[in-house]
Amino acid sequence: MQMQRLLLSTYFLFSPERRTANMAASGGRTVGSFLWKCGNCCFNFNTVSSNLTRQVLSRQLCVSAVLHRKNLAAAGPEKFSEEFIKKQVEEFNIGKRHLANMMGEDPETFTQGDINRSIAYLFPSGLFDKKAKPLMKHPDEDTFTKALAVEKHQDRLRGKDLFTQDAKQISLVGSRWLLKEELEELLVETISEHDYARFIQLMERLLSLPYCSVEEDFVQRYRRQLEIQSSKQQVQPLQYDQHGVAYSTGDGRRKTATGTVLLRDSGSGSISINGTNYVHYFPVLQDREQLMFPLHFMGVLGRFDMQCSVSGGGHSSQAGALRLAISRAMLSFLSEGQVETMRQAGLLTPDPRIKERKKPGQEGARRKFTWKKR
Amino acid sequence: MASTSGLRTTLSKMAASLTGLLKPWTPRVLLVRWSRYNPYYLEPEPRKEVYHIPETELTPEQKEERELKSVRPIKAATNSVTSSVFNDPVLSKFVNMMMKDGDKIIAKGIITQTLENMKRKQVEKYHKAPEGKKAEIECNPYAIFHQALENCKPVIGLASIQKGGKFYQVPIPLTDNRRRFLAMKWMITECRDNKHRRTLMYEKLSQELLAAFSKEGNVVKRKHELHKMAESNRAYAHYRWW
Repeated sequence: MQMQRLLLSTYFLFSPERRTANMAASGGRTVGSFLWKCGNCCFNFNTVSSNLTRQVLSRQLCVSAVLHRKNLAAAGPEKFSEEFIKKQVEEFNIGKRHLANMMGEDPETFTQGDINRSIAYLFPSGLFDKKAKPLMKHPDEDTFTKALAVEKHQDRLRGKDLFTQDAKQISLVGSRWLLKEELEELLVETISEHDYARFIQLMERLLSLPYCSVEEDFVQRYRRQLEIQSSKQQVQPLQYDQHGVAYSTGDGRRKTATGTVLLRDSGSGSISINGTNYVHYFPVLQDREQLMFPLHFMGVLGRFDMQCSVSGGGHSSQAGALRLAISRAMLSFLSEGQVETMRQAGLLTPDPRIKERKKPGQEGARRKFTWKKR
Repeated sequence: MASTSGLRTTLSKMAASLTGLLKPWTPRVLLVRWSRYNPYYLEPEPRKEVYHIPETELTPEQKEERELKSVRPIKAATNSVTSSVFNDPVLSKFVNMMMKDGDKIIAKGIITQTLENMKRKQVEKYHKAPEGKKAEIECNPYAIFHQALENCKPVIGLASIQKGGKFYQVPIPLTDNRRRFLAMKWMITECRDNKHRRTLMYEKLSQELLAAFSKEGNVVKRKHELHKMAESNRAYAHYRWW
């Protein structure tokens, strides 16, 4: 946008020769010529500003005012110091006397109510907001005191080296914003989608400001804690067979394969799948590694005895189904913290990936038919 | 105040909207790269040692990450990933890239044979070397593989940018993933194309990896050529706008 404005200004302020050169440059659409054009503009910006000031001066603007404006700008923003307040108070008093004279009343007995009425009479305003209407008040009633107090506080902190920008942040990790229904319940009125979106936007904006931790209670009122995911795992209780050996079962699925596992806490590390040894059933190393993954992760490699049965799918999906079944069966032997670590390792989630369907007009799920020109 | 039934319906609605995030998911508009997991799911961490770090030694970011993981669902670990010490993500990626028609058994077999071959050659060299030089010979095939791949990674790449009707080869920076991919791709294509009909893949691959480890060989040469091209096309570097 700024570039466009710059271009327009250069277009209009240039001499005809310059203008044609620019138009020739704008013929090319490529990046380089655009850069060159902008470079040209940048070079000519100084000349443009000097052109402008020349025209400004020629337009009979008071030179001293321009210079005065420049000096004011150089001084920096207005600081709310004691002298400034005193000056404002003096100006207010003088202005009050002038106003009383204008209205034809006694300057000594001119109250604030009279001031308000006379301002409303002299400057009628069609605006609704009271704060937007012209007003004349004693500076002490204004927000100068607040700004002064803030500045004093900041100076004190700077003196003690406590005025740092990095305050502690509110921890937002385990919580979420209120849903629209919950907010409606809180406010006992219905709100539109637009209003809810605006509410979320404003709260996020509040959180982006520094020192937002001051209003932590306010923010937490509109947040709800998310539930801990590991509590959703269904852990079956341990069962004991006639010899007192603890055992548990688990089942798992992956693609089209289903597997069940009977885990016995007997102390040898034997694994039998569908009646055969696991080394014969899974000749591929990767599948055997998948079977061992939950046991190795928990460090209980030689402890359990496994009797597995599996059907459907290919060798990889059967191994994945058995891995899930073993992890689920192991849950009964583990503590809460270990269940959570297994979940974070990705052992307890059933893998939802399936074969992607074939689409009409294509040869496969992704492969398109050979493109023929005619 | 809302009645108890109203509260229950709103809570069930809320529960429905949240549990909707946890099911196998198909996006409403089918994108080209989408997965069956809702984007709400986080990646799993299969390594054992990460979970044995005590609370005191965690940085604040790690603590926050742990808290986040405790409230978010986690994706399932893939087939090729285990917690064992032999699990190497770079090697798994190399196996996948070498795989043809989904035959991972053959690809994994080739890699295993390559590593064994490299180890045999290095051990032979080790035993033949004089006492002073023995410490310099690297016998660990995994270390050789990683170092060879590092030596093949290009630092800068070229992109074809159209300008004023012509296409220029403009030097551009490469991301880490892209560099790794290029190194692996060059290695595999080189081993497939430039070998004698009778040499087996694992033999050729072990030769190339050992050559790349000592910064010789065709792959490293190809990397150097790319760098030289980029250097010669330096003048067009400003054509890049990102």
